[in-house]
Amino acid sequence: MAIIKVKNLSKTFKVKLKEKGLKGSLKSIVKPRYKTIHAVKNISFEVDKGEMIAFIGPNGAGKSTTIKMLTGILYPDKGDIKVLDINPKYERKTLAYNIGTVFGQKEQLWTHLTPYDNFKFFGAIYDIPESRVESKIKELSMLFELEEFINTPVRNLSLGQRIRCEIVASLIHEPKILFLDEPTIGLDPVVKGNIRTLIKRMNKEFKTTIFLTSHDVSDIEKLCKRVIIINNGKIVLDDDMTNLKYNYLNKKIVEAKMKEKVNLDDEDGITIIKDKGYNLKIEVDTKKRSVADAIKLLNPDNIIDINISNVPLEEIISSIYKERDVK
Amino acid sequence: MLTVVKNQCRISFLSIKYALMREMLNKTTFITNVIFMVLNNASFIIQWIVLYSLRNDIGGYTFRQVLLLWGMASGTYGVAHFFFKKAFSLSDIINNGKLDSFLVQPKNVLLSVIVSDVETSALGDMLYGFIMLIIYGITPYTLILYCLFIICGGLILTSISVILSSLSFWFSKTDMIAETGNNLMVNFATYPDGIFKGLVKALLFTFIPVGITTFIPVHVITEFNINLFIIVILVTVIFITLAFLIFFRGLKRYSSSNLMVARI
Repeated sequence: MAIIKVKNLSKTFKVKLKEKGLKGSLKSIVKPRYKTIHAVKNISFEVDKGEMIAFIGPNGAGKSTTIKMLTGILYPDKGDIKVLDINPKYERKTLAYNIGTVFGQKEQLWTHLTPYDNFKFFGAIYDIPESRVESKIKELSMLFELEEFINTPVRNLSLGQRIRCEIVASLIHEPKILFLDEPTIGLDPVVKGNIRTLIKRMNKEFKTTIFLTSHDVSDIEKLCKRVIIINNGKIVLDDDMTNLKYNYLNKKIVEAKMKEKVNLDDEDGITIIKDKGYNLKIEVDTKKRSVADAIKLLNPDNIIDINISNVPLEEIISSIYKERDVK
Repeated sequence: MLTVVKNQCRISFLSIKYALMREMLNKTTFITNVIFMVLNNASFIIQWIVLYSLRNDIGGYTFRQVLLLWGMASGTYGVAHFFFKKAFSLSDIINNGKLDSFLVQPKNVLLSVIVSDVETSALGDMLYGFIMLIIYGITPYTLILYCLFIICGGLILTSISVILSSLSFWFSKTDMIAETGNNLMVNFATYPDGIFKGLVKALLFTFIPVGITTFIPVHVITEFNINLFIIVILVTVIFITLAFLIFFRGLKRYSSSNLMVARI
């Protein structure tokens, strides 16, 4: 059952143009010129209950604008949005009781207060009775392992601890959907890993639908089963993660350490990525040539060591950004 | 409906309480801010002492009434800037797209924003206002009226700032307009209204409503007049309504930003 329904959604921004220098500034006062930026162009998609979906795209693609329209921060110019059957444009407050938001770049917590006091404040914002807030804080602090620092002022916490607290603050009112906008930005790999595990656990235990935007491919790969890619305001791909990998993984990377040098310059279906004499890195297009063929060309007796791997997801996504750059 | 209002008030007071707790983290700064504001306001009385040593009546005011005028002006300013500090930097908040975290909460955006910070020096203004009232002559009657009038005045001052700042939704940088409007309200508030004539006086009871926030309250406390009392209450309601209407009309044009923001 779809709990987010987006149909033909569009949003434009008017930006004032200015020529360079003081002359340009004066000119823009006398005769201002504007440029219309189409941040989101007629996009449609649906998200089912309990899904963990990645909504990704390069900078300026329209991700944040879309998420802000879904959460009621921005008004759309055209199109329909229904989040939990609520229209964010007209029922922002009703929607707010049912969704949670974490913006990795924007803190919602009071830094001089402890996480515990902050959670109590958020409980009051969502009109939750004291006793229920207490039990929810207990439950979430155990799930997110906050016991150690729940009574330390937020300003004294590490970035990873803060983000965990931000997520907990957004879960106090038991939202049905959690919008995460770059939740792991600026975190080290270990903390990122922890956050991902916790998000997964939360999705499993509370059946919370997760709508995630991130530039970190590992976030997407490890958390989401479905990915929507947006570029220049348009959806360029909406597919299962497995399909994405399957369709784009027709290329393999072969790294080999050789006894003797091999020349593969004119071989069809093989692209040389790196050739350092006895160390070779090639990309095999499996539509044109099998990996076994490629190994035969290298001569198995000539190989000291070999490693065959998939093209990293990061490269697949980058290539989708480039290939489907619809202006 | 009543529960909604009750919850909104509860969260607003909680927000003010937390903001005050933050300001009190540095005890010395907090206390000096309050004391220096009282001293700063007191320094202006010297000129009035000199003037009243030359004349007994200035603009129809006795010296005690001037003290009450100062008490009213600083009390009004204190209420507005202590409880609703962010109303006076709302233009910047709108321009820089900092309303996001308030928009995702199920509460009134405008109220949530303007009560999210307090100005400690404004406590000094409020304290000074009460000192002036004590010197003027405090009775239960003057105290109740004074408190009511500084709340109304504070709300009008806040509403004016909200109205002028909300123009930022349409014309981007309007912080200068809002600042000028706020300064005008302060600058005219500490002079007896009898010295203003003609157009200026008309302006002070309309577009720069210092007359409503300060002059009428002084007259009502000095000599009660029900009609003037009702006018103050009505004008307060009108300004609050206008502030909400204009802010929420503008909010539809809000464009967020991706600036890094921390609530510190």
